[in-house]
Amino acid sequence: MLYALMGLGLSLITGILNIPNFAHGALFAVGAYLLASAAVAIGNFWIALLVAPLGVALLGLAIEYAGIRRLYAAGHDYQLLFTFGLALILSEAIILIWGPVGYSYLPPQALRGGLDLGFTFYPKYRLFVMVMAGLLVLATWLFLEKTRYGAIMRAGIENKEMVSLLGIDIHKLFTVAFALGAYLAGIAGALTVPIRGVNPGMGVDMLGIAFVVVALGGLGNLLGAIAAGLLIGVAQALVAGYWTEASTVVIYAVMAAVLLVRPQGMFGIR
Amino acid sequence: MKRPIVLLLAAVVLLPLLVRPVIATEIWIFAIFGLGLNLLLGYTGMLSFGQSTFFGSAAYVAGWLLKHYAINVFLALGIGVGVGAASAALVGYLCVQRSGLYFIMLTFALNQMFYFIAYQWTSVTGGEDGMPGIPRPALAGIDFSNPLVYYCFVAALFLGALWVMRRIVESPLGRILQAIRENPVRAEAVGYDVPRFKLLAFVIGGAFSGLAGVLYAMLFGIVPLEAIGFVFSGNVLFATLIGGSGSLYGPVIGSFVFIWLSESVSTLWARWPLLLGVAFVIVVLFLRGGVVEAWSRFWTWRSSKPKA
Repeated sequence: MLYALMGLGLSLITGILNIPNFAHGALFAVGAYLLASAAVAIGNFWIALLVAPLGVALLGLAIEYAGIRRLYAAGHDYQLLFTFGLALILSEAIILIWGPVGYSYLPPQALRGGLDLGFTFYPKYRLFVMVMAGLLVLATWLFLEKTRYGAIMRAGIENKEMVSLLGIDIHKLFTVAFALGAYLAGIAGALTVPIRGVNPGMGVDMLGIAFVVVALGGLGNLLGAIAAGLLIGVAQALVAGYWTEASTVVIYAVMAAVLLVRPQGMFGIR
Repeated sequence: MKRPIVLLLAAVVLLPLLVRPVIATEIWIFAIFGLGLNLLLGYTGMLSFGQSTFFGSAAYVAGWLLKHYAINVFLALGIGVGVGAASAALVGYLCVQRSGLYFIMLTFALNQMFYFIAYQWTSVTGGEDGMPGIPRPALAGIDFSNPLVYYCFVAALFLGALWVMRRIVESPLGRILQAIRENPVRAEAVGYDVPRFKLLAFVIGGAFSGLAGVLYAMLFGIVPLEAIGFVFSGNVLFATLIGGSGSLYGPVIGSFVFIWLSESVSTLWARWPLLLGVAFVIVVLFLRGGVVEAWSRFWTWRSSKPKA
């Protein structure tokens, strides 16, 4: 479910902005760290969960406004370099601020322990994450499908020139899309904290997965990203069960295969 | 065309006096690596984000043979070139079928695949610890374990690689590759088999990367896991772009700036990648075209000024 959130955010960014965002993993990590320190500072997990992703979204807003905005005409090499540089800055800044050692953070009191589901025993917090991520994905989907602005955004994926010809400020659209993508990465990061804790390498690991999800779902295909995120999560858990060494290699092999055979993504129609 | 060569020779001679021989050697190795990437990026217009695949594979294979079978230096280099070219042929064959973002993501995916294979195959590669203990065998009485001797060896190879690359980009092949960069559809229409030429560029670039990879392994006596990671691919990309892609000397200047800066800053501050990131951003926002272009812009600006 978290993979779906990451993939959705990245797909939004790559789809609308046509930019390979190598800083996406770093945004994820920033979300996680912001949550951890906000939760400690405020003493309330729920407020922190509200605040931390917004912080990441603001950061995304600033990044788009100050940098990426000037690079739309520049070609992928420079966009890639820019986001790659950003990823370096963010991950090093994390080490500078929070130190190189990761630490863990417990879920709030109400969500500790497990729940007896009859057939299996499942940690309450993981259930919460699943529900929460499901709601977020649903909300994003509703926003994109049912609201006017969402329709404009989807139109922006299809044809940018046409959208701006219709008198819509495409730059504002880009900024919003990037901030939204950053928000999704941030909240995905925030939600993982009580499960896996925080460590400086978490962004890099997630970045690869996010790209796999985007490739599988098809660039700019948002529903595809959601489905691929779920699929990858399940597949990784299954493969890791009986052949741990191969699970990551297999994932990238699948990504390469999908890019080659069905570049429109597994669920693409175009 | 004469002046760059004189400058280059001067740099080769003076460099070990200015910085430690190890760093000087690393600069030329990285320059060879950059030359290979530049053929793809600068001349053919393919943004490969997976160059460390070839660099790392060659380093691992040649390193393994050097360590366990004590092969001779030239054989190791030859094998490295071969492995680099072969892995590039494999990756290139798949990648040239796509373009744009898909191409970048494909090179990235395959790079990650090789990375995780190296990461998991601990019995051979050493996994996260890298593959240590790679010797630098002596050749015909020349003792390469002396850093300065090894420096001369690498510098000579670099000059040779540069010469070969110059011959390539100035040959009809190089012109065809540039035509593909400028307008692939037109190149196709004129009758060139575009995917085949792209693949050829991949293989040549891979061969250069492989050479650099083996030299790197022998320089440090270890193949670190990072040598096949995507950050390494990003570094060589950055070095090439910082110097200016599309010009022969761009990656050379770029790797000089890149290695020198990173080595000197990294001893001062452990968090030096932060500065590296800042440098990336600054170059992208203000200095597109890299050092080569900034330099020529500076000269046009100077010559356009009326003499006072």
